[in-house]
Amino acid sequence: MAARELALTALLLVGVSLVVFVILHLSPGDPFSVLLEGQGSGHAVSTSVREALGVPTTWYGRYLAWLGNMAHGNLGTSIRTGVPVASEIARAGPSTLYLTLGSLLVTLLLAVPVALYSTSRTAGALARALTLAVYLVSAVPVFWLGYVVIYLVIHRFGVFPLLSASAEPARHGWLYGLLPIVVLGVANGTVSEVTRHLRGEIGRVLTEDYIRTARAKGAPVWRHAFKEGFLLPMTEMIAAKIPFVIGGAIIVEQVFNWPGLGRMAWQAAQDRDFPVILGIALVAAAFVRLASLLRSVIYAGVNPRTATE
Amino acid sequence: MRRYREAAGEVAERPERSRWRAAALGDRAAVGYGLLVVGLVVISYVVGAAGWLPDDPSRMDMARLNAPPGAGHALGTDFLGRDILSRLIVGIQAYFLPGLLAVAISLALGAALGVTAGYRGGRAEALVTYLSNLVDAVPRLVLVLLVIAAFRADIYYVMLVVGITGAPAVASIIAGKIQFLRQKSFIEAAHVLGLPTRVIVLKHILWYNCAPLLIIQATLGMGEAILVETSLSYLGFGVQEPTPSWGNMVQAGANYFFHGKFWPSTAPALAILFTILGFHLLGDGLNNILESKSAS
Amino acid sequence: MTRPAVLEIRDLRTYFYSRAKEAFIRSVDGVSLAVAAGETLGVVGESGSGKSVTALSILSLVGGSPGVITGTIEFAGATGAGTARRNLLEDLGRYVRVSERDGRIVAVTKDEPGWRARVERALTGVRGKEIAMIFQNPKSSLNPFLTVGQQISEAIRLHTPVTDAGEAKQRAIDWLERVRMDSPRLRFDQYPDGLSGGMCQRAMIAMALASEPSLLIADEPTTGLDATIQSRVVALLAELKSEFGVTTLLISHDVRVVSRLADTVAVMYGGTVMEHGPARDVLAPGSEPKHPYTAALLASLPSAQTNGGRRTVDGRLPVIRGEVVDTMDVPRGCRFYARCDRVTEAIRARCLGQEPALATVAAGHRIRCHLYAGETCAETRPG
Repeated sequence: MAARELALTALLLVGVSLVVFVILHLSPGDPFSVLLEGQGSGHAVSTSVREALGVPTTWYGRYLAWLGNMAHGNLGTSIRTGVPVASEIARAGPSTLYLTLGSLLVTLLLAVPVALYSTSRTAGALARALTLAVYLVSAVPVFWLGYVVIYLVIHRFGVFPLLSASAEPARHGWLYGLLPIVVLGVANGTVSEVTRHLRGEIGRVLTEDYIRTARAKGAPVWRHAFKEGFLLPMTEMIAAKIPFVIGGAIIVEQVFNWPGLGRMAWQAAQDRDFPVILGIALVAAAFVRLASLLRSVIYAGVNPRTATE
Repeated sequence: MRRYREAAGEVAERPERSRWRAAALGDRAAVGYGLLVVGLVVISYVVGAAGWLPDDPSRMDMARLNAPPGAGHALGTDFLGRDILSRLIVGIQAYFLPGLLAVAISLALGAALGVTAGYRGGRAEALVTYLSNLVDAVPRLVLVLLVIAAFRADIYYVMLVVGITGAPAVASIIAGKIQFLRQKSFIEAAHVLGLPTRVIVLKHILWYNCAPLLIIQATLGMGEAILVETSLSYLGFGVQEPTPSWGNMVQAGANYFFHGKFWPSTAPALAILFTILGFHLLGDGLNNILESKSAS
Repeated sequence: MTRPAVLEIRDLRTYFYSRAKEAFIRSVDGVSLAVAAGETLGVVGESGSGKSVTALSILSLVGGSPGVITGTIEFAGATGAGTARRNLLEDLGRYVRVSERDGRIVAVTKDEPGWRARVERALTGVRGKEIAMIFQNPKSSLNPFLTVGQQISEAIRLHTPVTDAGEAKQRAIDWLERVRMDSPRLRFDQYPDGLSGGMCQRAMIAMALASEPSLLIADEPTTGLDATIQSRVVALLAELKSEFGVTTLLISHDVRVVSRLADTVAVMYGGTVMEHGPARDVLAPGSEPKHPYTAALLASLPSAQTNGGRRTVDGRLPVIRGEVVDTMDVPRGCRFYARCDRVTEAIRARCLGQEPALATVAAGHRIRCHLYAGETCAETRPG
């Protein structure tokens, strides 16, 4: 079970690298050679070997050489800064991780109460209004919401959050960190889908035969519905929505001048600094797969069907 | 309080109410609003393409900068005094055809993959699962930025990516539907009747049984495409000033926004909001109506 | 019937609302039944006759939200010393306003939240504790995410004085033994997915009996099981009946199951009781008097041992012709009229125009048919 998941993850990461390779291979100006050369210079030990051999000429040779380098944690060198991509990512990664996970939490804090309320049996007009609100919020362009929040903070609270974290005065550090998280959590476009999925699953589970049994035996319904009706769909949604939140992070980091991977990706796209985007794409894929792995672990822990296999 | 009313007359003579009339009020409202938005977008696209605009979108009215909606300019003006309504209408050009292309690619590719997977099962099915996992693994915007870095910031390249990455989702929905149909042994029956596979796939599976699903996917796909386009043009990788697009309009108005001139940024933002909302509501509303029907 | 009734249902009506057809489905339409202490009442009828909905109505478990339940369900739980009788549907009527015209419901206004809250309040301490229930399709009726043992222990700890986990486990294992589960200690830790349908039903029965209820409702306990398993479950229920003497309301479409287990039988058709009486009178083939529907039901049994099981001339089993009555559009006269083969010219007008009453034909034996109405019913208005 776990071994299968791990194998799938490895296979997917190879797939991602292959897709990325094909894109670069097809692109004009032979960026792949630049990439491989960049990897060479970053890999001090074998530099002499590499210089002797040169860049492989066959496409699979190049792909394998690149893959081999990556297996050593060598993601190449940024064209713009000349710094190894891996260390750039290690520097900016934590703030994006913080932003992404925080936003996900905000999304859940919005979606879960609405979903729970609208499946409750007393739900009426308020539930409909909340559902509409959730749809509205999910359609708000995240950059515009960012403007609104920044404006409010500047003019109402006299705080100016448009600074990079390093130059930030300690006084409002927490606020600076909170704003983009709230903005991305609200307007990453997944709130309505998370709500919808949760509500649907809870509703479906409540009509299951075994819930009727629980009612008939006078047991609390939530105790019986919790795993299938709440825990599993929550896990599912978290794993499924992480890529969307990362996508939204690119925009929000731009709006808030947040020094994370999203801004780095944006800058790299401006400069056609593809080794950097490549690295970010691979790290993002690894992150998404990690979430999937976690989901599988929780599923296996909860669901006896997979656990007994 | 809820009211349930017995219709007058004998039940036996009463015709079954249509799917639409039997749907919940909320879903009908959602679909109605969605259709309104789609209609407005299509009309505006045609109007913009034909050039029947209330004002020249690039004419600067220096006497009125950042004007709120009012006489002369129904939706006000931007920071160069250009008519926002006209620019919003022209802005649709930025995503309309590219979005349709993305949707067409998703549906065509997805249907082909889905039918193969649903029909063959086994390896083909595993492939579709693998592909959708693969597509889900890389955030779409990151992939788009990579394509931009590797090629150039061309909206048609971007929409190609959006279209291709949207295909596995369509495929797994169709494959699921076919598997559902197989349980009812309806496909076997069609084979036994001697219908050629081509007819079964195109007519009986895709047309009779998957058309509503495909329409829903098209709706959601178009919403996604609009989101990607506006995000990109906001980030500066899409349509460039002075050509308007909703995303770059929001971006261009940003500086004035922080000085209290909200409207030039907010107008395109609201256009994005209500359009995306329309596509979401349309897709989900149709889906609800379809599901409630199959459930009852 | 000298023993006191544990459960007495009077004029129960359970209606659903079909949004698509804008009409009320009269699933249960004026049912009156009584289950005496220690006896087993079998309710038998075709699918769609309202028997399962009757059972679910007792614990207000009917799904599909716009269900309206009216009538009285008097339940005498063996609480402490005496037997306190109370109406499970008491003051539910406050939450529903029914507009009638010509004796037919035309509109219903329902305060759904109030109704739900009232149901939860009234049935706390009844569900599971006083009245336990087992269902058809045992595999899906057990929680797949909990072990069999956890589910039985839960019932024990909720409804018996036992609160200690270890003791509850021991009791649960005892109950698994009592329902003839093989290797109960092993099964205790298994999930329902690892068990066969028959074992799941045994676990369900153990779970229901573990809380020592005053009344057991068995809703189609053999449906959804293999034929050989069915007979074993019936045998188990028969053994448990003689062993513990639990008062039981047994719902089944299977006449053989009912005849094996029931002391008293109610035959339901189209949402109402057609015949009600001691099992030996009602289900004995060929005996008179008998409701035409009961007769038809018995005649369609394939069993050879029921010597009254008539066969048609060409050796085929007789079937009840026609369709089950549409409970959305209940006829004015007898519900079975359209399918009845015993209508005589003398009573045809009455069959068409007037619903027969349940007439007593012998001690404790009542039949809803104009054939037996005879003297009890005086004159009829023309159809």
